[in-house]
Amino acid sequence: MNVWKLAWRVSQHEPRSFWIGWGFFVLFFTFPVANGWLLGRGFQAISDGHTSTVYWLAALLIVCETLRMTTIHIGAITWTQAWVHMQSLVRANMLAAQMASGGLEAGQPVGSAGEALTHFRDDTDDVTQFIDGLVDVSAGIVFTVLAGFVLGSANGGAAAVLVIPLAGVAMATRTLDQRIKRYRGADRLATAAVSGLVGDLMASATTIKVNNAIEPSIATLRSLVDKRRETAVRDRVLDEGVQSFSQGAADVGLGLVLLVSAGALASGKFDVGQLAVFTAYLGWLSFLPRMVGRVLARRKQAGVAVERMRFLVADDLASNVVTTRPLPIGHKQARHRPHTHRPDRAPLRTFAVRNLSAAFDGSVVVHDISVAIERGSFTVITGPIGSGKTTLLRAILGLAHQAEVTGDVLWNDRPLLDRQAFLVPPNCSFLPQVPQLISDSVADNIVLGRINGQADHTRLAVALELAAISEDIAAMPDGTDTLIGPRGLRLSGGQRQRVAAARALVHAPELIILDDVSSALDVETELQLWSNLAAAGMTVIAVSHRAVAFDRADQVLRLDAGVLVS
Amino acid sequence: MARNSRQATSRFRALAELLRPDARRWAGLGMLVTFTSALTLAGPLVVRKIVDLATKGTTAAALTRLAFVFLFIAITTQILSVVVAWFATVSAWHTTNQIRLDMARHVLGLDHEFHRTHTPGELIQRVDGDVTSVSDFLGKVVPRAVGAVVLVFGMIVVLLFVDWRLAAGMAVYMVAAGAVVVRSRHRAVGESAEEMGAYARLYGGIEERLTASEDLRSNGAGAHAMWRFVEDSAAAMKSAVKRERAFLRMWWAVQTSVATGAALSLALSAALVAAGVISVGTAFLLFQYLLLLERPLEDLVQQLETVQKANGAMVRVIDLLAVEGTILDTGTTTPPAGALAISFDHVSFDYGDGDPVLSDVDAVIAAGRSVGIVGRTGSGKTTLSRLLLRLVEATSGAVVLNGVPIAEIPMDVLRRRVALIPQEVELVAGSIRDNVTLFDPAPSDEAVCTALRLAGLETLADGDIHRPLGSGGAGLSAGEAQLLALARVWLRDPDLVVLDEATARVDPVTEVRLEAAVRELMSGRTTVIIAHRLSTLRHVDEIIVMEHGRIVEHGDRAALAELDGGRFRRLLLLALDTDEIPDLEIPDLEIPEIHEPAVTP
Repeated sequence: MNVWKLAWRVSQHEPRSFWIGWGFFVLFFTFPVANGWLLGRGFQAISDGHTSTVYWLAALLIVCETLRMTTIHIGAITWTQAWVHMQSLVRANMLAAQMASGGLEAGQPVGSAGEALTHFRDDTDDVTQFIDGLVDVSAGIVFTVLAGFVLGSANGGAAAVLVIPLAGVAMATRTLDQRIKRYRGADRLATAAVSGLVGDLMASATTIKVNNAIEPSIATLRSLVDKRRETAVRDRVLDEGVQSFSQGAADVGLGLVLLVSAGALASGKFDVGQLAVFTAYLGWLSFLPRMVGRVLARRKQAGVAVERMRFLVADDLASNVVTTRPLPIGHKQARHRPHTHRPDRAPLRTFAVRNLSAAFDGSVVVHDISVAIERGSFTVITGPIGSGKTTLLRAILGLAHQAEVTGDVLWNDRPLLDRQAFLVPPNCSFLPQVPQLISDSVADNIVLGRINGQADHTRLAVALELAAISEDIAAMPDGTDTLIGPRGLRLSGGQRQRVAAARALVHAPELIILDDVSSALDVETELQLWSNLAAAGMTVIAVSHRAVAFDRADQVLRLDAGVLVS
Repeated sequence: MARNSRQATSRFRALAELLRPDARRWAGLGMLVTFTSALTLAGPLVVRKIVDLATKGTTAAALTRLAFVFLFIAITTQILSVVVAWFATVSAWHTTNQIRLDMARHVLGLDHEFHRTHTPGELIQRVDGDVTSVSDFLGKVVPRAVGAVVLVFGMIVVLLFVDWRLAAGMAVYMVAAGAVVVRSRHRAVGESAEEMGAYARLYGGIEERLTASEDLRSNGAGAHAMWRFVEDSAAAMKSAVKRERAFLRMWWAVQTSVATGAALSLALSAALVAAGVISVGTAFLLFQYLLLLERPLEDLVQQLETVQKANGAMVRVIDLLAVEGTILDTGTTTPPAGALAISFDHVSFDYGDGDPVLSDVDAVIAAGRSVGIVGRTGSGKTTLSRLLLRLVEATSGAVVLNGVPIAEIPMDVLRRRVALIPQEVELVAGSIRDNVTLFDPAPSDEAVCTALRLAGLETLADGDIHRPLGSGGAGLSAGEAQLLALARVWLRDPDLVVLDEATARVDPVTEVRLEAAVRELMSGRTTVIIAHRLSTLRHVDEIIVMEHGRIVEHGDRAALAELDGGRFRRLLLLALDTDEIPDLEIPDLEIPEIHEPAVTP
């Protein structure tokens, strides 16, 4: 999909604010035509000695300027809204693709969140900047046509010669196009590396500190920011150079006008009033080629941005970055907290894995695993480090995105086509080894959706009880409304694990899959968890190394180097 | 109000401080900008001459000569402005990169508590994003502003030579216009900072959700995550409109000044020409100079957004630099060499909310001893380990190492001699070596490999240790990450090692291998091991049992293991045989052959 079409789609996401903003902006650019004309008449009157006419013209000038400002006031506020609408659409599409559990919308997961953030911030900005530039160009065209008419009727030859510097501006930007694209790409990579490292350092601040590693880390950061300085200087100087060049074109234009009309000036055919009009318009005339140049550059930058953003959305398709979706973020738009859409419950009778294999770049991590699981049973997976336990779980769940996965997962003897979409609550829930929480309340982190009435409160309370964390929560100042801080860091490691366990249990899933919980839970708590799950009659697949788990398992699967050994 | 002005003063002082190391560079840039502005002023003087000659009547050849002079000046100015842009950008990045590094260093050094309340996404925005705003300001706005100031003063000087009344009028006008613009500029700073705060929250939220994407995907939480995003975006929209309104107030001020100036100059010129005081050419000069003023002013208005952003960012940069850690590095006493004896002297701790995490913890651990700390989650074990590293400070009481209170030990000595292997291992984007040394270039590759082997990561040591590890530890399992943290400690030679659940994510087979390594690590050092898994504690000398922030049992491991009715004994039995637990209902299940090897007596 080309950048133009893409920009059009983004602009038509909220057409009202876009077109109103555009209309006022174009109108704004017609006022300088009137102003320049008034100034020209003024100088004509001065050199002719009609002093009182000049006073009237000066008053008219003030009126004109007031109207111009009123226009831009309305235009700018509307355009700010249009701007945020457009950016939010692009961000929302990327985020939705990253958050979707399977289905058509789901995109490939990103590696580093810090790096991915540049897509949400800078790349999104590049696309909107391009659209913004197009609006400028359309306004510039309106001004240029009107001004050209006035100038042409004053002195055709002098007006024609202006085409030279203005065309020069556009030509210069065209030849610099390729470079701008290349420099921009390099600059973005360097910026992503810097914010990636800063993010990592901030996330591991304590580790850095206790290892006395602040200075070496800063030295590494220094080499990255130095590299970025070089790429940024190249990128921005080119950008600035193009701008300075086009601004200077106005003066060159005036020089050419003076050269061409030297004869007419000397003979008095070209008078000071006409020269004033030329001078007044020249500053504005360079706006169009400048904006054309800028838009050309921005088109390239937007192209680079889209090329990077498409990897976040489904099928790596750029068109999925700009799909229109309801996004009520305006101050007059009503927002309702949505019901989290979940698939219908499909009661589990049997669950089976058939010939499941997973390989990373050709090296097999999980090899030909087949397992059958009955409703209400407890299956424990164990095995040494790197034996493929976590990969097996993720392959079952459809989360092993980087791996080539073959084989089937059967639910009531029927193979699942989109495992990631089907294996979510209330059918299945998953508790990863290192669960990630979000800076919301405890309840939000567990329910991940709206809590509706008493029934939901009861379910939440039951889940807290099952996950053996109700006592901890009750001791917190705001109970389940307690905010848990960024990444849940206000909780202890064990509390985070159990809040995540409650999250996995709250929708009473047909099947629950737990990666190793023993890392964060003491043996008593783990025992209690298994007892609670058994008492609730749940179907469980769990990775564990502890006797308390083996003791109550219906079957124990032992993995070694990706192969089932017992 | 007093606070505001003080802030403003400190802001400028801070800015000056930041520019000082690059003073020469900035001075050179200033000269270049001045020269460019002087050339800009020369152009209209040529046009004045042309107009005057044309009005009086002259030859086309004379006018053509002057037109060429004008063209030459225009082209030179244009080339110079590109050079200025290049020079300014280089200088801006030079200077701000230093700020970035200073900020990163400062923030890394802040308390554990600070990092508990700020997302990494927010800190990226503040350490890198905010400084980039400052960089844009220095690189784009400052040279233009300086150019405009030089232009204004130059203009007044030129007009003085023409007619002193014109110069005086221009000066009065510029002062009035400047006052209006500056006054309105200050009004928008708050709104700008607010908008940046809203965006920091938006991006912080996105970053957090991306980090948690697997959890959210597997829980079908897409709609929930999107709802939060919509809320944050709506807040960003609201603050953006508010900022735009503030910005428009400024625009009105600038534009009104310009329009008034144009109208006034037109009227004034008419009167002066009619009175025969000035020529039409001079009137034209005045008109051109006003146009010259309009251009940088309009330009500045366009850039005022950058100014606002930078101003808001500057406030935030200085605010962040002003955040001080509560844990101060003022100690001067180095504890005697060798393994560290620990004494907890009636230590209590809370997070300032009156809810004690530790109450009156009193214990002595002799040098070279190894101690296991057990207790349920939330019993205060991790806080105890943080106290030993001085990541948090005791609310009352003291932690004493080899007779020296921990607050009196210089921080770098403490960091050298006390090592922590935390519950959650954070990895960074970089090579395997970077992750072990944490970017320290000093240790040799062999030393790094040895450390990896000692920690049980032969597979990593055998490969190329310079190969990259993905960000967030992609490519390593959680267990392997914990082993890697162990390797970090092997690389150093600490006198006290604190292992906080350090082997929790390691499977039993690896753990057995690791156990020998940990025992070796214990020799000659004091070791504090916090563990859920009792198998890890088979070889420790002493056991401390914690409950609700208090020590409820402390003694030799062997003695406590035999103590009837003791807490530790009960835990041991629980780990050995679940049937011994009377108060939990456990259904009868067939016990499989596999037992956790580490707890087999």
